[in-house]
Amino acid sequence: MSATATVMFSRVRLARNYRDLPFDLSEKPEKADALIARTCNAISMSPLRDTFEFYRMRELNDIQRHVMEESRLITEDLLKNLPVAAALVNHRDGLSILMNEEDHVRIMAIQPGMELLKAADDCFRVDDALSMHTEIAFDPQLGYLTACPTNTGTGMRASLVLHLPMLVLYKQMGNVGQTVAKLGLNIRGVYGEGSEAWGNMYQISNQATLGRAEDEILHTVLAVGHQLIDKEKQLREKYLENSRISLEDAVFRAVGIMTHARILKQEDFFRYWSNLRLGIVSGLLPMELVKADRMIEEVMDAHLAAYHQRELTDAERNIERASRVRNLMHKL
Amino acid sequence: MICEECNSREATCTIKVITGGESRLKHVCNECMQKFNRAFTSGNIQDLLSSIFSAIIPELDPKSETENETIPEIVCNNCGMTYRQFKEKGRLGCPECYAAFRHELEPMLQQIHGRLYHAGRQVLTSERAQRQRSRQEELTRQMNQAVAMEDFETAARLRDMLKEIAAEEAKECLRQQQ
Repeated sequence: MSATATVMFSRVRLARNYRDLPFDLSEKPEKADALIARTCNAISMSPLRDTFEFYRMRELNDIQRHVMEESRLITEDLLKNLPVAAALVNHRDGLSILMNEEDHVRIMAIQPGMELLKAADDCFRVDDALSMHTEIAFDPQLGYLTACPTNTGTGMRASLVLHLPMLVLYKQMGNVGQTVAKLGLNIRGVYGEGSEAWGNMYQISNQATLGRAEDEILHTVLAVGHQLIDKEKQLREKYLENSRISLEDAVFRAVGIMTHARILKQEDFFRYWSNLRLGIVSGLLPMELVKADRMIEEVMDAHLAAYHQRELTDAERNIERASRVRNLMHKL
Repeated sequence: MICEECNSREATCTIKVITGGESRLKHVCNECMQKFNRAFTSGNIQDLLSSIFSAIIPELDPKSETENETIPEIVCNNCGMTYRQFKEKGRLGCPECYAAFRHELEPMLQQIHGRLYHAGRQVLTSERAQRQRSRQEELTRQMNQAVAMEDFETAARLRDMLKEIAAEEAKECLRQQQ
């Protein structure tokens, strides 16, 4: 199986700011509005003009906003500036332009699988459109100037979202963390609280943004991604060879619960989902990986609420989640 | 050079501090070096950790904290943000703050990124530049594809074309500066 066995998503974001405006416009609604108009205008003059839909965050309801956040089209930080925040979203290509976030503009692209270069290209096209028609804060020595010095330079964060159940099972994540840190990358759990990574989902990203070309950053992240894919595959094969029955038990137990459970907490869902995915990539389950990956979004809190068009209580959510999972299991 | 640890004596030794895969040289005097050595050999972990942390993150060093208090406030004339406010918030006020706080920011950027010179994309100013960049990106894509398919002859040809474009770009830059 290809890289998608381990790499679920590729994400890239670029931070950009306009030369003449203060970074934080949350208390300056007029300037914030001007920034939105300027950004939309630049995009409307580019070949990308018909691909985006415009959203004013304050005009959406709470459920709609969180659905977009769960789909990774906007960020939690954008919602912190609710009165002034806006986004241009291309739903089909997973591409969004956030306005009045920590930086004036955040360009974000998400692609399923190992498609980091494609995601970067999408971001660069938006970046070109912006810089053609606006004046971007740029310093010949320091590159793109950002609100936080951790983003100065390229303003780029390139990430891969990985499913690493075997590295977790063999207790290798500590080593992985140390190794990627030496290469200037960091790794963290995607969902979950504290040090726990629900669903064994991890994200690797570049830490440094200054002094390296975008290409170098992308290829470092890709190279480390390939190493982790190989390591995970080797351990998976070893486990299949030595403990096939244990693996089968975990996988089919997960299938049983996901097909029949009536109450499913988010945390529990992630545990069974991880085993289900492991079963698919190990060839034990003839199911579609893409659909299994898409399942996560479908059973997140805001998506469940959107399905019912009202906020749900914790108990209602767990019942609804179990019901959605049962339905989705039949379609895999 | 003055010792970066005590900021008073002449530095005589150089130690290498490795953080996040990037190494940085730190110049220290004999006495501070002995302090490091003592901490290592005596096993006094508290001393050792405090010297390591102060080498990595000067902000955590109580000495530098007291020094900060005596630094005259620097203000960005464009947005009015002071350097102290920036250090409290962790966010700069406006793009001009980079120029206003440059002296203070550079060591911080060096620490975060390990490097101080932008090596990535440049802002585009003309349609010609944009066309040139699209062409470069297209050629790079083709070159990577050729490498992936082990067609090294094509890859070499594309690499040469990219080199030529880069050379032309450098010439153009020089012309503009003159």
